[in-house]
Amino acid sequence: MINFSFDGKTYQAEKGDTLAAALLRNGIGLVGRSFKYHRPRGIMTAGVEEPNALVTIGDGGRTEPNTRATDVFVYEGLVAKSQNRWPNLSFDIGAVLGLAAPALSAGFYYKTFFGSAKRWMFYEYFIRKAAGLGNAPTKTDPDLFSQRAAFCDVLVVGAGPAGLSAALEAAEAGKRVILVEQDNILGASLIRDGQDRDGAWVESTQARIRAAGGRILTRTTASGYWEHDLVTLTQRIAEPGQIPPHGVAQRLWHVRAGQVILATGSIERPMAFAHNDRPGVMLSQAVRTYLNRFGVVPGKRVVIATNNDDAYKTAYALKAAGAEIVAVLDARPAPAGADSGLPVYHNAVPLSTKGARHCLKSVTARVSGLTQSWDADLIAVSGGFTPVVHLHMQAGGTLDWNDAAQAFVPATSRQNVTTIGGAANPEPVFNVVPVSTPKKSFIDFQNDVTLSDVDLAWAEGYRSVEHLKRYTTLGMATDQGKLSNMAALGRLAEKQGVAIPEAGLTTFRPPYTPVTMGLLAGAGAKDAGAHVRRLALYDVHAAKNPIWQPLGYWFRPRAYPVGSETLAQAAMREAKAVRSNVGMTDVSTLAKFEVSGPDAAAFLEIICATTVGKLAVGRGRYTFMLREDGFVFDDGTVWRLDENRYLLTSSTGGADRMATHISYVRQFLCPHLRVSAVNVQEHYAGIAVAGPQAKATLAALIGEEPPRHMSTVLAMISGVPVIILAASYSGERAFEIYVEASHAGPVWAACETEVAKQGGALYGLEAMEFLRIEKGHLVVGGEVDGRMTPHDLALDKMLNKAGGYVGASGLSRPALSEAGRRQLVGLEAIEGNIPEGAMLVTGEGASPQGHVSAAAFRILDGGSIALGQLTDGFARHGEELIATSPTRGQMARVRVVAPHFYDTAGERYRD
Amino acid sequence: MTDVTITMLPAAPLHTLEIWGNPASVAKRFKEAAGFSLPAMGRSDGNDALRLIRYEPTVWLVEGDVSALPGLLADDGALTAIGGSVVRVQLSGKGWRTLLMEGGVFDAENPNFAAGCSAATIIDHVNVRLHVVDDDICHAYVPLSYSEAMIHFWKTAALSLTL
Amino acid sequence: MMQFTCPHCGPRDQAEFIYERTVDAVVSLDAAPEEAMKSLFTRTNPRGVDDEIWRHTYGCRAWMVITRNRVTNEISATRAVGPEALP
Repeated sequence: MINFSFDGKTYQAEKGDTLAAALLRNGIGLVGRSFKYHRPRGIMTAGVEEPNALVTIGDGGRTEPNTRATDVFVYEGLVAKSQNRWPNLSFDIGAVLGLAAPALSAGFYYKTFFGSAKRWMFYEYFIRKAAGLGNAPTKTDPDLFSQRAAFCDVLVVGAGPAGLSAALEAAEAGKRVILVEQDNILGASLIRDGQDRDGAWVESTQARIRAAGGRILTRTTASGYWEHDLVTLTQRIAEPGQIPPHGVAQRLWHVRAGQVILATGSIERPMAFAHNDRPGVMLSQAVRTYLNRFGVVPGKRVVIATNNDDAYKTAYALKAAGAEIVAVLDARPAPAGADSGLPVYHNAVPLSTKGARHCLKSVTARVSGLTQSWDADLIAVSGGFTPVVHLHMQAGGTLDWNDAAQAFVPATSRQNVTTIGGAANPEPVFNVVPVSTPKKSFIDFQNDVTLSDVDLAWAEGYRSVEHLKRYTTLGMATDQGKLSNMAALGRLAEKQGVAIPEAGLTTFRPPYTPVTMGLLAGAGAKDAGAHVRRLALYDVHAAKNPIWQPLGYWFRPRAYPVGSETLAQAAMREAKAVRSNVGMTDVSTLAKFEVSGPDAAAFLEIICATTVGKLAVGRGRYTFMLREDGFVFDDGTVWRLDENRYLLTSSTGGADRMATHISYVRQFLCPHLRVSAVNVQEHYAGIAVAGPQAKATLAALIGEEPPRHMSTVLAMISGVPVIILAASYSGERAFEIYVEASHAGPVWAACETEVAKQGGALYGLEAMEFLRIEKGHLVVGGEVDGRMTPHDLALDKMLNKAGGYVGASGLSRPALSEAGRRQLVGLEAIEGNIPEGAMLVTGEGASPQGHVSAAAFRILDGGSIALGQLTDGFARHGEELIATSPTRGQMARVRVVAPHFYDTAGERYRD
Repeated sequence: MTDVTITMLPAAPLHTLEIWGNPASVAKRFKEAAGFSLPAMGRSDGNDALRLIRYEPTVWLVEGDVSALPGLLADDGALTAIGGSVVRVQLSGKGWRTLLMEGGVFDAENPNFAAGCSAATIIDHVNVRLHVVDDDICHAYVPLSYSEAMIHFWKTAALSLTL
Repeated sequence: MMQFTCPHCGPRDQAEFIYERTVDAVVSLDAAPEEAMKSLFTRTNPRGVDDEIWRHTYGCRAWMVITRNRVTNEISATRAVGPEALP
């Protein structure tokens, strides 16, 4: 025996029970309250299509709301709670809503709660409390979720007789086979119908599939069919709420199949009659499942209502189990056949039910035009069968109408998918047009939609099935219309006066059954989702406890506060160290490409908009790159390391884009060049040393005269070979030291020691930003925002006069170099501090003429300064404007100046 | 519980060798010098002193002593050091194939992906290069910045591999 | 997620590839500005079959042209782009 609890009370289940089976075993018929009217609801099905018996399973972070009691297997300690009731299940205040049902018909919300958005927010609070399903958990899910790929020749979905046979055949033909079954045992209809009572055939088939190398996944639902025969499977490793044995609760499989065989069977349809939603109304095959599989007899006095032969199996099974069949209501005219030994009524359809204390009391039917009633505690209903065509339709398939079965069956597909078994050949049925009063005849149990709601939607002009769905909410929520769509379609077709196939269908979308969010997040559920890229020197930085700054996927130190320093204080101290002494920082993330070969210079002159060919060995220069339409998209430096070998650097954020661009240009625009361009972004860690004392610091480190500005040398630091580039972003004399990342530790340590000896400091991204703004250097993603031409950024004098670079043609369009465009300017505060991102206006109410791309303070002298873009900015130096950020309530009066606030002549680079 | 062990291998010199011209002639010169052929796409060849693994149509990953290669390439190709950008991770034990399916999109369970085979793919959003050493060992070449995250990912995944 | 047959690696998941542009949007370096802008911004973009440039960025890094029906995702041809691969 297994102990579990439902609404706080402990019960016992048998091994293998679903929660639904266990509840029925314990005589519990009332399991939940309906979505809108709070009507008492029980267990209607034995499968994932269950619309009523939705419960919340588990505690804390493992809480899983809206779990179908038919789709969870009881384990020791399972905790289940009913939903949408207050204060408790059998006495629910919300059930009063049921009495007001006429007021809550389709479109009720739209018609009642109109008005301003504010009013809607007010209504919504109460609607959310009154209507709805379970509550989302508030704690973090402690479990892990895995995602795994698999490949196979044949994927078989559904392990009923058809699926098992297909999987066996394929596996024994030497194919890689995956067989998936959403249940925790194989056999499906064989188990339900008791046809393989000792399990021998299923057992041996399973063994043979495995022996032939086939993979069988139970508790696994094929929930999505995507492009090129990719099927996603959701596998329950632990049951909802259960503590998983090795941490992983569920696995999402991505299966790429050569061929997919769908043996997904069919779902039995309910019938529409008044009060067809109360506990004690159950689908016929579900009754059989509880009898044959779980040994639970769900009723003692049973009425069967059917339009097909299949329900007779239920009647016989019930009879054999000792239940009394009080009536078999068969909608079909009397056949000329043998006596079934059952009280069969032909031309008989149910009209309504009565109940007492949430149990079924009696069933009323119309038999050949006359009304007749029976006392009963269970009505087993079979309104026909709906093939499970969801995956076929997700794959982009079409459907055929099978008139005998009154059902859509799979027709063609553009993917490699076949449907077999009951899903392809549903049983013939007799078409029954509901005769009962439509008001309490539910068709969508989960959304509380009745026949009269469909009628109302029709009367109000909703003609298409898609509109009907949205107006009535029919077919939404966890069951996605598995039971209701055909009934609604039948009613709509009837109203339209057309055959069902002409009435149209709503779209089948993944997932087939609900999927938890953690599963979709996978391993990323536990952190930010994407991996953080770590600096080679991560440990060195981490030991100093910096403020980290995310930059793309990277995390970089933003500042290294000392004591109680704030970010701003730390950054300003660090920047001052660079301006007055020496500072060092990690620049490893810069994009770096090593370009080699006899045509390396020629290639770089295509990538870069500046000249490269004239560089002497050991020299470097600033460069920038254009898109094909002539706009600047990145910048960096290019260095000639050797006769035929160059190092190109560009922005961190644009690194991947630049790698793709370089490869594209190489293959599509100049495939004839003898050149190799290798991405060495991560091969080299980079350390920048900057400040008036940088040269002395570097001399001490390398034991020789450091290279002059824009020169490069190879040297050794702590016995490790390094490349030294004398380049400056800060505006001071500066060097970038590049070292193979795996050996960066000792080089950083040596630099840190020397910098400390000079009384210098480490600096982070914030100080770097202050320094470069003051100097007027650009940042890609800031000033270089994809809308600026070289002319707009005052870079045009550096353009390669010979042309031939990417973007030269696009840039030659006259409008791109015209006066009056947005142009780079400097901004100086006259009053207030300039807010970053602020717009630039001439006065209150005027249209923006530009914006502030980066703001900072003068490092040694104080004062708020900024870089920005301004219409016709070059011609407006000296003009006063307002920089305003209404969203932050900040503004400053500014003066337009040249975008250089420090060492305009560039004296400080020189020795 | 798990039949795969994840170990970080020590840093080693790695280069890329790209050939842009006269491929047949380079291949001949290479074979004469190295004693084995430039491996085909998706394959590796060589020995502990010099091993080439091919992931790209015109580029080989080179492990070991490359001193003879620049002369051999002349103006038909180039050699570039990339060792700093890669962390080599050894996945050992029968379970390496299953482990590689976690967060992956490449069919590492295919028996044709056997000793001497190579493939570049995406695993848990990270670009990883694989080289099958033998039935029980696969090497993964992981970008340095992602190596910490990938090793953690693999170690976690390895705990529940057989379920 | 689609599956492409890389000319160098065989069938691989779309996740390993990055889309670049259609073949008719390749602009040569010496294209006149009007011609270049036409290719970049006012190409035909048919509903149906087109020749698309993709790169096996997270695989063999090679470029290819994939002829794909954008309605059905049927891929009718794939050809390699770039220098001839060695045997």
